[in-house]
Amino acid sequence: MRMSCLQENLSKGLAIVGRAVATRTTLPITNNVLLATDPSAGRARLKLAATNLEIAVSCWIEAEVEEEGAITIPARLLTDFVNSLSPPEKHLPSERIDLALSPKTRTLELKCARFEARISGHDVDEFPPIPHIGDGMMTKVETELLATAIRQVVFAAATEESRPVLTGVHAEFEDEKLTLAAADGFRLAVHTLPLAQPVAGKTAVIIPGRSLAELNRLLALPRKEGQEEAVEITINPQKSQVLFRLQDVEMVSQLIQGTFPNYSQLIPQSYVTKAVVDVSAFSMATRTASIFARDGSGIMRLVITPGEELSPGKITVSARAEEVGDNMGEIDAIVEGEATKVAFNSKYLMDVLTILEEEQVALETTSPSSPGVFRPIGTENYLYVVMPMFVQW
Amino acid sequence: MRRIAHIDLDAFFVSVERALNPELSGKPVVVGGHLDARGVVSCASYEARAYGLRAGMPLTTAHRICPQAVFLRGSFDRYRDASVEFFGILADFVPDVEPLGLDEAYIDLTGFESLYGPARETASKIKSRIKDEIGITASAGIASSKVVAKVASSLSKPDGIIEVAPGAEREFLAPLPLTKLPCVGDKTERVLTAVGINTIGQLAEAPPSFLRQSFGAMAELLHRYANGIDERKVQGPSSPKSISRETTFARDTLDRRFLQATLRRLSEEVGAELRANGKRARCITLKLRYADFKSITRSQTLNEASEVDQAIFEVGRELMEKALSQRHKLVRLIGIRVSSLSQGKQLNMLDAKTERLECLNRAIDRIRSKYGFAAIESGQTLPLREGIDQQKC
Repeated sequence: MRMSCLQENLSKGLAIVGRAVATRTTLPITNNVLLATDPSAGRARLKLAATNLEIAVSCWIEAEVEEEGAITIPARLLTDFVNSLSPPEKHLPSERIDLALSPKTRTLELKCARFEARISGHDVDEFPPIPHIGDGMMTKVETELLATAIRQVVFAAATEESRPVLTGVHAEFEDEKLTLAAADGFRLAVHTLPLAQPVAGKTAVIIPGRSLAELNRLLALPRKEGQEEAVEITINPQKSQVLFRLQDVEMVSQLIQGTFPNYSQLIPQSYVTKAVVDVSAFSMATRTASIFARDGSGIMRLVITPGEELSPGKITVSARAEEVGDNMGEIDAIVEGEATKVAFNSKYLMDVLTILEEEQVALETTSPSSPGVFRPIGTENYLYVVMPMFVQW
Repeated sequence: MRRIAHIDLDAFFVSVERALNPELSGKPVVVGGHLDARGVVSCASYEARAYGLRAGMPLTTAHRICPQAVFLRGSFDRYRDASVEFFGILADFVPDVEPLGLDEAYIDLTGFESLYGPARETASKIKSRIKDEIGITASAGIASSKVVAKVASSLSKPDGIIEVAPGAEREFLAPLPLTKLPCVGDKTERVLTAVGINTIGQLAEAPPSFLRQSFGAMAELLHRYANGIDERKVQGPSSPKSISRETTFARDTLDRRFLQATLRRLSEEVGAELRANGKRARCITLKLRYADFKSITRSQTLNEASEVDQAIFEVGRELMEKALSQRHKLVRLIGIRVSSLSQGKQLNMLDAKTERLECLNRAIDRIRSKYGFAAIESGQTLPLREGIDQQKC
């Protein structure tokens, strides 16, 4: 392998695949990043790839190739060296960096202006294969819509591993829509979004929450002009892997095997009290209460009072820390139905209130021990169900 | 000027036994554990104290010094019942009662003169009610602060009342030996007597710089108490920060079945107390003391606060297995503690198992409160019935 590319591009590429590099692993080669020249697109490119066996991220950068070849190099070392070569001033042009592989010693020689380095690598055939998904169910989703959906759902996935399916996000592709759902037992978040390319029939898989969080970082990368605003999603026929294809970047994730709880039966179909509030006001009241709720396992008490002839409806938000202090806040609400009391973990409310994009949200409750439902006003595509805390009032 | 009384039941355990069995009166009586094992004196009657017997002394030593004493195993249930009656009587008089263990308490009589007459009369009424209703005697000290009231009650023992007039606190304390002061133990006394300070009065006049040098942060407290200055309020019991149970084996053991059975029993006791207090715990700590007196504690934090015996036991068992695998030595004592206590229960929409266990535990609590602890027992604690068959080390 003998080639050259811009230092800036190599640095960006390494940053993209870097998050997939294994950190604590029993398979040392997964600490490496794969570098391979790739003529497949009809133009010279360098492919960078890394995998931690749960996800694999590949990325392509422009390169001038004199001689094809491939090698794996310790990711951390290469990344640190390449980053150290950034021009001292931001506005200065990036230098070209020459890469030359000596196949016999498996040493990669890098030269950039008056700096050079040699890094020992390992053969490509020792590297875990980056999964290739050719056929299977394929569809497209608009980048922005997918990013919002992931952001509104992924936080509700479980982080502890006692029930592995709950660490994933249930993704159901059906006709022209995609439904993402995550539940850790304490709350459930469901977001429905349109597919840019319809699918035949119904396909449901469980994607690890960590993979989707990683995908969202990739979706947030600045896009080049004229670039397609859609992500291509392919699920292999065995339903064991999913491929997300962006411009010049691909991510493959393993899928979680198992049965996701039938969450539709967890969504209350009716309510006794419905309160519509400003998201920003509710968010502020919740944040204030959470300061005092910290010591008391996050308990935040809501008292919902319907309006009367001369007074508007309201929600009183309070929290107390035993032997420390307490606080109380009040926000306006349009309340329909009966007055009620319910307590929630302030963190679970904070989580949802920070990701809503709408100005108002409706909170539907039935009793102090039945789930509360958050529905943003002005859209039908999202809902959040949260279990209350059982407390002494 | 405040009027605070310290009420202390005289030789509590022995007095309770005597109230039930008048034949014991006038004889030296000792309440403690197993005579043959490593029990210690819990309580000695005044007759027994005359022989030099003290609480905390090994029973074997006590028996050698005073073989004619009546040695009783004692029954904690009886003492607890008497204690409940005692605090019931105090609560009839004043709202502010600060318990110190089972058999002593501070009460704040300030402002009650118009209701009950002078503080001394009130204390006398309390004493006679204790005598009439529980059949035991109490001693009382009355002063303007907690520390002086406590010293006064200890001087009035048995069955006496000492009132220290406002302004006479310093004068009252001055001639007394240092150890009468609650915060002076053996070590402090040794340091002070070494420099010729033998009475509380001398301590009160000791130069503050000397005290600071010898006792650091304690110096201020020593100086204030010695001068009869104590601003502490009479405070009701604060809610517990942790709940723990531990037990010392009659013989050191490594029998897993027996250790586990003991741990299970202790977990059940801790769990029952958690539930009785309406609390849940997140942190579980195992304590082991090996035969060589080396003690270790190992803790684990749960994802979700729990009140379930089984969860406490499981974590405790895992911690024990891990500890024993690291240090496989005979165990002298085992204990379990739960902390990070909180109120309120986060409901779960996907976890029916915990729900069932909670119902089971509550049902067991109800059965035990009606028919006693032994009315229902888990299979895991059966080895305890087989007795201390620990020869399978």
